[in-house]
Amino acid sequence: MLRVGIIGCGKIADSHVAEIRRVKGCEIVAACDCEPLMAMQLADRFHIPQTFVDVADMVAQARPDVVHITTPPESHFPLAKFCLENGVHVYVEKPFTLNLPDAKTLIQLANERGLKLTVGHDDQFRHVAQRMRALVGTGYLGTPVHMEAFYCYNLDDPIYAKSLLGDSHHWVRRMPGKLLHNIISHGIARIAEFLHSDEPQVIAHGFSSPFLKSIGETDIEDELRVIISEGSGATAYFTFSSQMRPSMREFRIYGDKNGLFMDPDHETLIKLPGSRYKSYVETFLPPLNFAYQHLANVAMNARTFLRRDLHMKAGMKFLTESFYRSISEGTPVPIPYREILLTTQLMDSIFDQLAKNRQLSREYHNVSIG
Amino acid sequence: MVEKVLQSSAPSLADNCDAFIADFDDPILITGATGFIGKRVVECLLALGFRNLRCFARPSSRADRVDELRLRSCSGCNVEVMEGNLLNRENCEAAVKGIKVIYHLAAGTGGKSFADAVMNSVVPTRNLLEAAAKEGALCRFVNISSFTVYTNRDKPGGHVLDESCPIEQQAARRGDAYCYGKVKQDELVTSYGRQLGIPFVIVRPGYVYGPGKQAISGRVGIDTFGFFLHLGGANKIPLTFVDNCAEAITLAGLKTGVEGEIFNVVDDELPSSRQFLSLYKKNVRSFRSLYIPHFLSYGLCWLWEWYSDWSEGQLPLAFNRKRWYVDWKSTRYSNDRLKRLVGWSPKIPLDEGLKRYFEGCRKGKTHA
Repeated sequence: MLRVGIIGCGKIADSHVAEIRRVKGCEIVAACDCEPLMAMQLADRFHIPQTFVDVADMVAQARPDVVHITTPPESHFPLAKFCLENGVHVYVEKPFTLNLPDAKTLIQLANERGLKLTVGHDDQFRHVAQRMRALVGTGYLGTPVHMEAFYCYNLDDPIYAKSLLGDSHHWVRRMPGKLLHNIISHGIARIAEFLHSDEPQVIAHGFSSPFLKSIGETDIEDELRVIISEGSGATAYFTFSSQMRPSMREFRIYGDKNGLFMDPDHETLIKLPGSRYKSYVETFLPPLNFAYQHLANVAMNARTFLRRDLHMKAGMKFLTESFYRSISEGTPVPIPYREILLTTQLMDSIFDQLAKNRQLSREYHNVSIG
Repeated sequence: MVEKVLQSSAPSLADNCDAFIADFDDPILITGATGFIGKRVVECLLALGFRNLRCFARPSSRADRVDELRLRSCSGCNVEVMEGNLLNRENCEAAVKGIKVIYHLAAGTGGKSFADAVMNSVVPTRNLLEAAAKEGALCRFVNISSFTVYTNRDKPGGHVLDESCPIEQQAARRGDAYCYGKVKQDELVTSYGRQLGIPFVIVRPGYVYGPGKQAISGRVGIDTFGFFLHLGGANKIPLTFVDNCAEAITLAGLKTGVEGEIFNVVDDELPSSRQFLSLYKKNVRSFRSLYIPHFLSYGLCWLWEWYSDWSEGQLPLAFNRKRWYVDWKSTRYSNDRLKRLVGWSPKIPLDEGLKRYFEGCRKGKTHA
């Protein structure tokens, strides 16, 4: 029986605990939060036997085999490092770390100690993402040519937006990429999975939306457009937007044979055949084919629902289960370390460019005023 | 001047002045002072003649409401607006400095996250209580709770819900983060009050309505599924008009001899759910609604609860029997204790309250 500890008892910890409880062969033995009331509320609702305010105490007394770190991102690195140094496997919520050197240090440490690490890119393990991965694995695409990932976030959410926008000391603001840093890793990881180069080129453009400017918020960028290219010629576009409607998280990937369209919000995967019909047939059969595929997605989702496996965080359950298996059975980790590093590296490049652009913009502004 | 205000604005309040625990110059702290009820509590205190108010507001509070509070300061009357975060202990210590009465109205509103509910309701309450205990000057801590904390399960339909009714013991199973936060907040106030010797009262309003609030109470029905399900039927809705509620809270914080008491706040005249819905449709906007009889709504809640458990949360526990008992079981309500011990009575009658509420809804182009 794998003993699990939770570090950080905020909102996302609820999802972790709920999904861990659905995984066989494990038990949650402790909850830890620097705010005792937060640790107590999690323990109270999920019947967790022990609570702690100090990670060292939790590791020493509850002796977990694995911990889930669900704290704000700036504490991911020190907490994960401490747990690894004390022989505990670690699942870190996204973003993995605030920069690439920290990510490398953790992975090196895990390898040295024979421990396992993973990051909370659970979106990559939703049912539809797994179906897409399987199809790509069959060679359906041919050689990858281009990807497009959209990751939108609706700032209309009164709880999050109000607490972030109204609080000049909110922890999100302390990260290099601020709001973007906390959110885009799901979308970037989706691209990183299919990149072959370890040194892709990145061109990033970020700005504050008219909505944010209208409420006097210029410190946060909530619009981002990125072009990623690698030496092989494969490219990717990444779009993050808080204002675009629909607020979607679609992913498209095109090879030299066929393409695929994945919509995680609607658990929908559509094959985009590369071949064309002759003449007017092209205007009749492909739409019929798409209609059939959409219906097939509906049927598949209905079956999954009836099997009681269409949970909002089904991806987290699969990721957790796979990670625990990698610990107890020695199978490969569900997210290759290369992919974790590449995601962090891409994010670093994006935020470096945004910082430089902001600096240039400020200098230009100052010169103009001068 | 003060006497004039008391006579013109709140004659009934003035009657209570001789039995107050605080002097008019004593500093009083109001958290959540820019909120729906909080700003009216400030008005009540000023109308009573209290001249030294400290209003605590988040930096994210609406600027117009903060400015409105600042404008309350006049000659001989100090309304200080302190911006800060109750999650910050230093902010709490600064806020309670020299304070005699704390009206703690700040709370997390809505949202589905239990963690957020605790973080925004329970943790700030603990910080305030500990800061107040350290300061040592406090005469009363007024904790604003809610009807939602009652279980209302074991009594027969049509019984009277009053302060003696049991509290929800398994609040997490209600599937309502707000309820969980309020239950834990009440527990904390009671235990800290006893341990640290802080005198407190707990005020539990029913459904507070008035201009500025636009939603229809869930006790009437829900529009979760794209159309309005009317679930209340002939049930009485425990309404309290915001001005009446603010007055009850204000008095509960000042009246002598009520330490440790709990007060439910509901107005005298309560409409049935059917009457309320009909008036709303007539005065605000027309929409289709489907009445679900009580036996059916209970059955559906039971089914939802069973499926949620069986499917390990594939459907969240949004509807369940615990919620049905509180929101849709036929119940009567009492404000006897508040009237008897505090001397409160609702000044704004139902007709006038609904008129102002509907007008506010129309102005806000509200939707149910």
